[in-house]
Amino acid sequence: MKLKNLLWVVVSLIFVLSFSSSYAAGVIKIGVQAPITGPFANEGQGIDNAVKMLVEQQNAKGGLLGKKLEVVTCDDEGTAVGGAICARKLVNDGVIAVIGTYSSTPAESAEPIYARAGVLQTSDATADSLTKHGYWTFFRNSCPNSAEATFTADFLVKKMHFKRIVVLSDYSTYSSDLADATVAALKKIGGNVIYKGKIQAGSQNFTPILTKIKAMNPDVIYFSGYYTDGGLIRAQQVALGIKAAFVGGDSNDNPEFFKLAGKSANGVYMINVPRPDILPYPLAKEFLRDYQAKYHMMPPSIWTLFNADGLRAIMYAIEKTKTTDTKKLAAFLHNLKNFPGITGPITFTKDGERAGSRFMAYEIYNNNQYKVVYKED
Amino acid sequence: MRKNLVWYILFFTIAVIYPHFVDPSWVDIGTTFALYSVVALSQDIVLGKAGMFDMGHATFFGIGAYTAAILNTVYNIPIIYTIPIAIALSALFGIIISWPIIHLRGDYLLVATIGFNIIFYQALQNNLFGLTGGPNGIFGIGAPVIFGINISSQRAIYYFAWFILLITMLIIYNIDKSKLGRAFHYLRESEIAAESFGVNKRFYKVLAFALGAGVASLAGVIFAVQYAAVSPETFNFTQSVLFFTIVIVGGPSSIPGILLGTFVMFVVPQFFREFATARYFVFGIAMILTMILRPQGIWPAKFGKLPKYLTKES
Amino acid sequence: MEIFLQQIVNGLAIGSIYALVAIGYTMVYGVMKLINFAHGDLVALAAYVGLTVLMQAFGMHLSNLWAVILMFTVTAMFISLFGIILERLAYRPLRKAPRLSAVVSALGASLAIENGIMLIWGPNIKVFPSNIFPSTRWHISGVVINSTQIAILLLSIILMIALYIFINRTKIGTAIRASAIDQDAAKLMGINVNGIIIAIFALGSFLGSIGGLFIGIYYRELYFQMGWIYGLNAFIAAIIGGIGNIPGAMLGGMLLGIFNVLIAGYVSNTWSEALTFALLIIILIIKPTGILGERVAEKV
Repeated sequence: MKLKNLLWVVVSLIFVLSFSSSYAAGVIKIGVQAPITGPFANEGQGIDNAVKMLVEQQNAKGGLLGKKLEVVTCDDEGTAVGGAICARKLVNDGVIAVIGTYSSTPAESAEPIYARAGVLQTSDATADSLTKHGYWTFFRNSCPNSAEATFTADFLVKKMHFKRIVVLSDYSTYSSDLADATVAALKKIGGNVIYKGKIQAGSQNFTPILTKIKAMNPDVIYFSGYYTDGGLIRAQQVALGIKAAFVGGDSNDNPEFFKLAGKSANGVYMINVPRPDILPYPLAKEFLRDYQAKYHMMPPSIWTLFNADGLRAIMYAIEKTKTTDTKKLAAFLHNLKNFPGITGPITFTKDGERAGSRFMAYEIYNNNQYKVVYKED
Repeated sequence: MRKNLVWYILFFTIAVIYPHFVDPSWVDIGTTFALYSVVALSQDIVLGKAGMFDMGHATFFGIGAYTAAILNTVYNIPIIYTIPIAIALSALFGIIISWPIIHLRGDYLLVATIGFNIIFYQALQNNLFGLTGGPNGIFGIGAPVIFGINISSQRAIYYFAWFILLITMLIIYNIDKSKLGRAFHYLRESEIAAESFGVNKRFYKVLAFALGAGVASLAGVIFAVQYAAVSPETFNFTQSVLFFTIVIVGGPSSIPGILLGTFVMFVVPQFFREFATARYFVFGIAMILTMILRPQGIWPAKFGKLPKYLTKES
Repeated sequence: MEIFLQQIVNGLAIGSIYALVAIGYTMVYGVMKLINFAHGDLVALAAYVGLTVLMQAFGMHLSNLWAVILMFTVTAMFISLFGIILERLAYRPLRKAPRLSAVVSALGASLAIENGIMLIWGPNIKVFPSNIFPSTRWHISGVVINSTQIAILLLSIILMIALYIFINRTKIGTAIRASAIDQDAAKLMGINVNGIIIAIFALGSFLGSIGGLFIGIYYRELYFQMGWIYGLNAFIAAIIGGIGNIPGAMLGGMLLGIFNVLIAGYVSNTWSEALTFALLIIILIIKPTGILGERVAEKV
C-alpha cells in the first residue's frame, strides 16, 4: 500500500521532466494566458481564437523576420493561482510576449513573473493597479474606464439633459469600476444620480431591482455591465413598463444584446469606441468577417478585439524594430502613437496604459440600425 | 508507526529536493499543493475527525488571507505578526459561526456552512467596512521576514509553505494521540455514548471548528504572501467544494489520503492545461469513477478509525 | 402598493420555476438521503436540448404551437431518460457506499454535465427566439402581468397538483412515500425499491426539464453555468419547505421566489444573496426540518 505513495511521486516527477520546455530555433513563440474553462470560458476562448487566427494569417504572409509564429496557450481559469502558474509555464516555454488575460486577478498575479523574465504582457484587464507597479513589460490594451466615464457623463447630462439618473453595474472589477467612475464624473458636472445598484451577473431575474427603480421614476438607466445581462435588463425594463431610456456601456454593444432585448432594443443608447462599420479603416470589418468565417460565431465581446489589438501592436513592433529583444520592443511600444487598431487608434503611455480612445454614443432604431447621436470633439 | 515515519521522511526529503529539478511553474504548483493540503487537513479536523459535514471551509482560508492582507497593507503590520492575529480571528469566527448551528444534523449543517461561505463571499465583494477592496481585492502584500531572512523568492515561499504543512501534520498527529482526538472519535462513533462518558458534545464540536478555522487561516496568510494579492473568487463556494472533495476523494481522517486527494484534485489537472476545453468534463467523470472504485477514498484510514457515516451501510 | 403587488407577481413566476426544480431535489433526498448536486445542471441541459429541438422544428417548418409541443415532449423524455441513466451510472453503484461519496459523485456529474454543455453548445450564451409564445401584457391597476408569467404559473400549479395526486392517490405514489419513510421496511413489504428510485429520478428530471424550458421561454438566455444558480436556489427552496417533503418543496419554491424579490426590492439589492442565506440559516436554527418537514426522531 505504502509503495503507492512513492509511485505517485515518481510518476509526477516523470511527468514534470517530460514537460520541460523544448526550444525550437527559427520560431517566435507567442503565449496566450486566458480563462479557457470556468465562468469566463467564453471570453478566454475568444482571446485564444483571435490570437490563433491572427497568427495563422501572419504565418501565411511568411511570419515575422523570416520566422514562423507559434502560439502556446495556458488556461488560467480566471484565478490568481492559475495566473501565476501559467505565467511561469509560459516563461519557461520561451514565449516573448503573452496576450491576455481577461480578468484583473490572474493578470496581477502573473505580472511580476513576466516582468522579471522580461516577457511582454498585454491584457484587457481594467484594474488601475496593473499599470501602477512600474513594470516595463505590461501594456493594457483596453481603454481606461475614466475616459469612457467622462464621455458617458457628458452624454447623459450635457447632451440628453437627463435629470434622474440610475446607474447599475455587476460585481466584476471592470463593471463596478466603470460605474464608480461614471458616478464620479456625473457628480463633477452636476448630474443627479438617484440610485446606484448592483446586479448579480447571470442571475437573469432583474425584476426586483427594476420594480424598485420604477417607483423612483428615473428618466435614464445606465448599465455598465455586459450584454448578457444588459439585454435582459432592457427587455425586463420594457416589460415592466418603465419608460426610462436605457444607456449601455461598451460591453453591451454586442449582436446578442439585440437577440435578448428583441423589439425593446429600439431606442437604446450604446456608448462605445467607433463601431467597425463606421470606422475609417477596414481593419475591424475584416477581422470580424474572418473570425466569423473561421469559427462560425461572433467574438464573445469587445474584449476579444482589445486583445487582438494587443497582439497586432506587438507584431507591428517586431516588424518595425526587426528584433525579438523585448527591451527594444517595449521601448518601441511605449512610444507607439496612433497605430491603427481594430478598436481605434492605439497609443501607449510611458507606464503601459493605453491612451484614451474616442468614444461615440449611438442610438438603436428600427431593429439593429445604428445612428451616431453624440461624439467627442 | 516507525514504518510510517520512514515514508514521511522520504516524502519530505523529496519535497526538499523537488524545486531543484523542476521548472518554476511546478515550484508554484508545489507551493500551492502544500497550502491546499494544509487547508484540506484543517477541513478534515471538522469533516473527517469530528464527523461534521462542512462545505464552507474556504471561508476560514479567506479570513486568514484577508486579515493578513488588510493588516499588512492598511496598518503596515509585518506579515509575521499578522499570523497569530489571523489565526485567533479565524478561530473566533469558527466559534461564533458554529455555535448556533452545531446541533444540526449532517446535511443541514452542510447547507448552513455553504450559507456562511456565500455570505462571506458577498461581504468581500461588497467591500465590507471599506476594507476588503471589493471585487478587485487587495494588492501589494509584503513578504514575511524570519530571522532576518526575507521570504519573498519563489523557493523561499515554497519551503515556508512546506514547513507550515509539516507543522500542520504534527498538530494533526498530536490531536489523534491526545484526549481531544479520542473525544472526537467517540463523538463521531456515537454522540450518545460519548456524552454518557462525560464528553461535552457542544464544547468539542465547537472546538473542532475553531481548530479547523485556525489552521486554515494560517494557510490563508501564506497564500496571500505567495501571490502578493487576495481577491474574493479565491474563497468562494467552489473552493469549499474543492476542499470538501479532496477530503472525501482522498480518504477522511487519513493524512496520506488527504495529501493524495490534494494531488489528484489539484495537481493532476495541472498536467492538462494544454487540453484546456475538455479538461473538466473528463475530470468530472473521473470523480464519479473514483468514488465508485474507491468509495471510502483513495487511501482510507485504517479500520477502527473510520467515521461512522463511512462504515454504516444505510 | 402597486410596486409591492408587482414584486409579488414577479416573485411567483420565478418561484414556480424554483418549485418545479426543488421537487427533484426533495424527492431524491426523501428516498436516497442524497443531495443531488447535478440536478441544477440537468435543468440547464434541458433548456439547451429544448432550444435545439425548437430550432430543428422550425427548420421543418412546423407551426409555433407544434414546435413548442414537440420541444416539451422531446426534451422531457430525453431529460427523464438522462436522469435515469445518471442514477444508474453515478449513484446506484454507491447506494451502499458512504453518503458523502455519493455527494462527491454528484458533484463530479455536475462538473461533467456543465462542461459537456460547453463542449457541445459552446461557451457563448444562446438565446431562445422571442416569438414562440404569444406575449400579451395586461396592466391591472398599475401592475403589469404578461401572458408568459401566467402560463408558467398555471402550468406549474397543474403539474404540482398532478404530482400531489399521483403521490397520494396511486400505488406507485404510496410506494414512493413508503420508501422515503423506511427503505428496508418498504423492501420487506414487497416494494421494488430500485424501481421506485428509477421512478423518482424520472419524475424529478421530468419536472426539472419543464423548469428548464420555462427558464428558456421566460428569460430566453442560456449559458452553460446557469444550472448552478437555479440549482442552488431550488435546493434552498426544498430545505425551507422541509427537504424530503413534496408539498414543502412547492411551498418553499413560491416563498423563496417572493422572499427574493422582497429582499432585493425593499432591503438591499447588493446583499440579497447573503440575506437569503441568512434567512435559511435562521430557519435551520429555529426549525431545522423546514416549514412542512416532519421531525425525524434520532435513531439511538
